[in-house]
Amino acid sequence: MVSQYLFVFAQAHDEFRIPELLSAAELHKISITFPEEDLSKLDVSRPFMVLGLENEDDARTLAKRCILIKSVHEFYARGTTYEEVHQQTRDNLALWSRHIPDTSFKFKVEAYNHSIPQRRQKEIVESFGFMALLGKIEMKNPDIIFSCFEEYPDKRGTTRDKLEGDGKFLEAFFGRLIVEGTARKLVKTFDVKKRSYYGNTSMEAEISLLMANQTLAAPGKLVYDPFIGTGSMAYTTAYFGAYVYGSDIDGRQMRGKEKKPGIVRAAAQYGVSQRIMDLCTFDVTRNPWRCGELFDAIVTDPPYGVRAGAKRLGRKNETHRPSEEYICKRLSGALQLNEYYTR
Amino acid sequence: MVRLITHNLLACHAKGCTTNNFPLQLKDVTIELREAEFNPDFVSGFLSRLEWTALVNAAKELGDTSLPPELPDMVDDDLLKNLHHVLLEIHIDEGSMICPNCGHSYPISNGIPNMLLAEHEIG
Repeated sequence: MVSQYLFVFAQAHDEFRIPELLSAAELHKISITFPEEDLSKLDVSRPFMVLGLENEDDARTLAKRCILIKSVHEFYARGTTYEEVHQQTRDNLALWSRHIPDTSFKFKVEAYNHSIPQRRQKEIVESFGFMALLGKIEMKNPDIIFSCFEEYPDKRGTTRDKLEGDGKFLEAFFGRLIVEGTARKLVKTFDVKKRSYYGNTSMEAEISLLMANQTLAAPGKLVYDPFIGTGSMAYTTAYFGAYVYGSDIDGRQMRGKEKKPGIVRAAAQYGVSQRIMDLCTFDVTRNPWRCGELFDAIVTDPPYGVRAGAKRLGRKNETHRPSEEYICKRLSGALQLNEYYTR
Repeated sequence: MVRLITHNLLACHAKGCTTNNFPLQLKDVTIELREAEFNPDFVSGFLSRLEWTALVNAAKELGDTSLPPELPDMVDDDLLKNLHHVLLEIHIDEGSMICPNCGHSYPISNGIPNMLLAEHEIG
């Protein structure tokens, strides 16, 4: 049976919310019911979304894996006024009646794009008095947490008083907290600044985690990054259990200054150096992979722009190609250069 | 760090080198054994993507004869463990890989093979 769950998303990369959710759902074979049949019509700019899931465990699984999920709640009510919210909550009595007799609880009132003054927070909590919960109120370690959210319009760039517009929310949501997103803190774990090896084009932690999630990385899979550089994508993908192959046209990026390759050193920091399958130096447009189905997924931050523009073997303009004789003469020099690159 | 699984996936790709370019021969290699977490699902899942004979021969060259010359129809736990060892725990740190056809040498240094080609070898 499908029940409704309120998803609260982090305020970042809104266009990644649905794709990440879909990837995690596909990986864990979870079916999600969306409010719109056509996903492109979904409004992803809002941080609240009510989605259908088979059970609570699915919500926990998703919250464990999705970087952009802040929390998931059992959905009780939504409305543009508290009268609506209260009415719907009453209608959904069956969902929360088991918590009436003897469950310790607390209420949490939060707002998006606004901070609700303490006085009104108290009023909101008290307005739910009709629920007549008999359990103890426990501010520390309650059995359950009821959460109420108010969503306000974006007020950035306008001058206003601190509490101006208080109570004039777009919509309010009410539910019971099931799980806080635990994957969110990985963004800190993979912070590039705390990494033992990185370069000037290392990808920021949050995006690398989101991309790793979209590869459906899981134990036993083999993922390939053809422009591995300093390995930002590899660490997060390997963290989710997959083995990662990496290649790059410039071996210096992968190696760093020490004998042990930099990527392996940074991977060891995250405890995933065993999952860096191997690193290779070559131009992916002239790659030495043998034929056959080799990888489960490819994840990469391809070269672009000025700092790390695209490099290829060979010349752009074939007419300027030097004669074979000239090449042979230069070859001994080229080999020395080769040794420099493979140091 | 070149593991035998990688060796099993790389072929010579120099210009005109299209036949007999796999597997690359190992030369002057120094190997190191490093324990890796055993994941039976990965190993058995990867079986179909392996070139079996090439793998057995490469393992033999490095002194590991635990694999049967033909892939048996029934894959048991012992075979998976041996295969795990051969694929993931034998690391080639230094040395080179030579193409059996054109003789191109791909050097391995600090465990990273250099598969780049010179200008006259691409096309």
